[in-house]
Amino acid sequence: MGIIQYVAKRVGVYLAVLLIGLTITFFLPRLMPANPIEAYISQLQSRANGTLTPEAIASMRASLEDLYGLNGNIFVQYVSFLKRVILQFDFGPSFAFYPQPVNTMILGALPWTLGLLLISTVLAWIIGNLVGLVAGYFHTKRSATVLELVGILLYPVPYYILAVSLILLLAYVIPIFPLSPTFPVGAMTPAKFGMVLYNSILPALTLVLAGFGWNILSMKALAVATTEEPYATYARLKGASNWTRMTRYVFRNAMLPQVTALALSLGTVFNGAILTEILFSYPGVGLIMRTAASSGDYNVLYGAITISIIAVATAGLVIDLFYPLLDPRIRHQ
Amino acid sequence: MTKLSRYLLAPLMATLLGSATYAQEMTDVGTPRNETLIVQTFDGKTANPDSQNPFNLYAIWRGFRELGWSFLWEMDTATGKSYPELAAGPVEVLNDAHTQFRIKIRPGVYWSDGVELTADDFIYTLDTAKKYKDKLNFVAGYVNYVKSWTKVDNYTFDVETTNPAYDVQTVLGVYTWGSQFTPAPKHIFEKQGDNVVTFNNAPAVTLGPYKIKEYDPNGFWQLWELRDDWQRSGWGNSGTPQAKYVLYKDFGAEETRTLAFVQNKYDIDTFMSPDSIAAAKARNPLIESFSKTFPYHDMNDACSYGIYINQQKAPYDKAEVRWALALSVDLKTVGLSALSGQFKAAAMPLSDTPITNPVFYKPLESFLEGLTLADGYKPFDPTFGQQMVDALKAQGTPENELPSGDAIKQGFGAGWWKFDPAEAEKLMASVGMKKGADGFYTMPDGSPFVVDLVFPSDWNKVMQRVGFSIADSWKKAGFNVNARQVDAGEHGTVGNTNSKFNVELQWNNTCVYNVNWLNGWRSFSADNVKPVDSSDALSGNYLRVTDPEIFKLVADSQKLPTEDPQFAENGRSIIKKLTEGMQEINLMNIPTTIPTNSAYWTNYPKQDNFYAAPYTWWSSFKKTILNIKATGKQ
Repeated sequence: MGIIQYVAKRVGVYLAVLLIGLTITFFLPRLMPANPIEAYISQLQSRANGTLTPEAIASMRASLEDLYGLNGNIFVQYVSFLKRVILQFDFGPSFAFYPQPVNTMILGALPWTLGLLLISTVLAWIIGNLVGLVAGYFHTKRSATVLELVGILLYPVPYYILAVSLILLLAYVIPIFPLSPTFPVGAMTPAKFGMVLYNSILPALTLVLAGFGWNILSMKALAVATTEEPYATYARLKGASNWTRMTRYVFRNAMLPQVTALALSLGTVFNGAILTEILFSYPGVGLIMRTAASSGDYNVLYGAITISIIAVATAGLVIDLFYPLLDPRIRHQ
Repeated sequence: MTKLSRYLLAPLMATLLGSATYAQEMTDVGTPRNETLIVQTFDGKTANPDSQNPFNLYAIWRGFRELGWSFLWEMDTATGKSYPELAAGPVEVLNDAHTQFRIKIRPGVYWSDGVELTADDFIYTLDTAKKYKDKLNFVAGYVNYVKSWTKVDNYTFDVETTNPAYDVQTVLGVYTWGSQFTPAPKHIFEKQGDNVVTFNNAPAVTLGPYKIKEYDPNGFWQLWELRDDWQRSGWGNSGTPQAKYVLYKDFGAEETRTLAFVQNKYDIDTFMSPDSIAAAKARNPLIESFSKTFPYHDMNDACSYGIYINQQKAPYDKAEVRWALALSVDLKTVGLSALSGQFKAAAMPLSDTPITNPVFYKPLESFLEGLTLADGYKPFDPTFGQQMVDALKAQGTPENELPSGDAIKQGFGAGWWKFDPAEAEKLMASVGMKKGADGFYTMPDGSPFVVDLVFPSDWNKVMQRVGFSIADSWKKAGFNVNARQVDAGEHGTVGNTNSKFNVELQWNNTCVYNVNWLNGWRSFSADNVKPVDSSDALSGNYLRVTDPEIFKLVADSQKLPTEDPQFAENGRSIIKKLTEGMQEINLMNIPTTIPTNSAYWTNYPKQDNFYAAPYTWWSSFKKTILNIKATGKQ
């Protein structure tokens, strides 16, 4: 298969995945039992202690259907959705926070989500893989078992328990970090950037600790298996140093599945980290999606899920296109 | 290595610890802590902090109603009486039909940008709401209520209502939490033209004594600062605001909020769970609940929690089944297990508060005690409060924290329905519903009868716990229950759609705050009854009342002034009918947990210092702002 055919095939699959994903995204929220208009009216009623008149409610229901574009048949709405999303990347207004545009809401939250999750995911990957590599390569030594123990201990701890424990320790018992961060407003200055970093350390630390346990265990297993491959044995017999064998023979071969896992993890960071955002009052996409799901805010769900689908599919495409560069066997095929 | 750590880590630690020390004196937003009142937001984080346009659903829980806006009439939440705020006095009635009114506003009130408030602002607000009513989503509360309006002079305007009206002050002013009729500054909004429908209006020009100093674009906090000219603001004539700054901030999940509260990071919480309050109080003596004695929390909300039943649908259309369900709720056990006993029972379909009690509960005490079912059974149990006291005493609650004598009624309510599964079984048998081999009631034709009970999931933890506990109570009494906890959106949809609705924990049709019961029950009308299988949403009458006599009482009352004795009497008649038919199993006043921290501020509204409802998300919070006292802590 020529390179053009290879790329064309993968791009074709990528586009098909996007279309199917968008279609499912459109229909799935409409199967939810929550109706955005009724959710809004119910919310409003609650705020008004049930005192809105029946006439006011009926009038509001009619105008909201019109405002939200929910009064045509579903096929017309689907075509309009595809047109808006594909041609303009416009998800319309939020239903629950009308007339706030969905794009504004998501674009406001994305930098926070990406800033936290990209860094913590990559850090967890790097630290976990390095520790796992050493633990796997020297798996016959007692010190390696200690390193593995770190992974075994951290991996099964539920994130919530880990995060609350760290909050208790580092924000309450030894109050180094804030319990509830306050991110500065206005133009970013070095001092404000420092505040953002300071406020982000604790949530990032919990994510790194929660993430790198798995990386330790998986890399250790891969490294143990790779260490026993004939080419690693050959390198040892040839007299290559431990460092050379560990980095050039074991790590290079063992990292391929880890790179795939990293790429897919990076794709999913667009979903946000809802528990982290709730526990640390951290602004991100996760909280927006949660609010949208509970209030039947289709447009916000469309926006957030579509971005996530694009990110995951793109990550898959990038892996497909770059894998041959990392693995000569695939390049050869 | 030692040197390295000395050079690298020491400055970092010093910076971090320094920040922590600094935060004890200054707030995170850079204001002196002892000049800043800090409250937990009602809704956590908001997704629309830039939305500050009162014609649309603005970022409503960020202090606008309490500090930023100002209304024609405000509600004194200690007495339930309306009083003028922007208005110069009570509304003036111009005709016998009660459709034409004159409203005079106080001269000398200024917007935060220095422009004077005039009748033009009100006329512009009404004009805009009417012109764009299909494109604005926060004007429904008044846009159909008024038919026409005219300016008389700079400080006077007339309105004509669509129907005879006796509640102008509580529709165009505050009834409970605030008013939708919020005057918009004409000089700001008029320039927007048609864009007014999407205009964010951020930061808003305000009428109240506070102006927006800063707000978090991510929606976690908003800081208000006292205006230099606060005395000429919308309620600057009411007294001196005590805090120079008010910060509305979300302190995150309950776990972190509780810890921050213990650390004196903020002053007033909202809806913290009783367990967390107890934990926080144990660690910080400055933290207090609303009352020193049981049930500890505020029980004066306008609405009550109840079990709403689809009375149009078989077998719930039979009063015997509804009564059987009521007599199978072991409310004492429900309250002890779900709320640690911290609730006030309310047997009739409205809250039993110091405001509603003298009008409705007290006059109907003898009705409750004399109420008799068709088989001669008396279902009311006036000893419910005493039983709660005894149960809590047995659980080890200190006696000095339990009410005694007359205070039992104030604490736990005047009584509730007996827990009597045996009588419930008799009632069920009387309509042909008997227990099957599995111990659960069946339909008259022998098919299974399953109660589909819907209640909120963890977005309302109190109702969630109560819901599971009621399901447990019913199951033990022989009702097979499908207990479903649902999100807010589905909860609303189920509650107003006949085809989806069977039994639900709700509160939206049991909201009577004062003598003006019509505000809560005007929707009891034949127009608001839909067929039992209808999938169209209801616009009111969520109790599914179909009784023509109740409809007539509502219609007649709309022609009466609320202060007419007959008006209150009609309300009591409706209550009797709803109760006799057990058309809703009312449970309790909504328990509102608002713990306070007196490290920096004291004199919050409390049970023994009830100068206003203690809610930070009602416009009456302004009374708190005027009455709190700084402790002087630095």
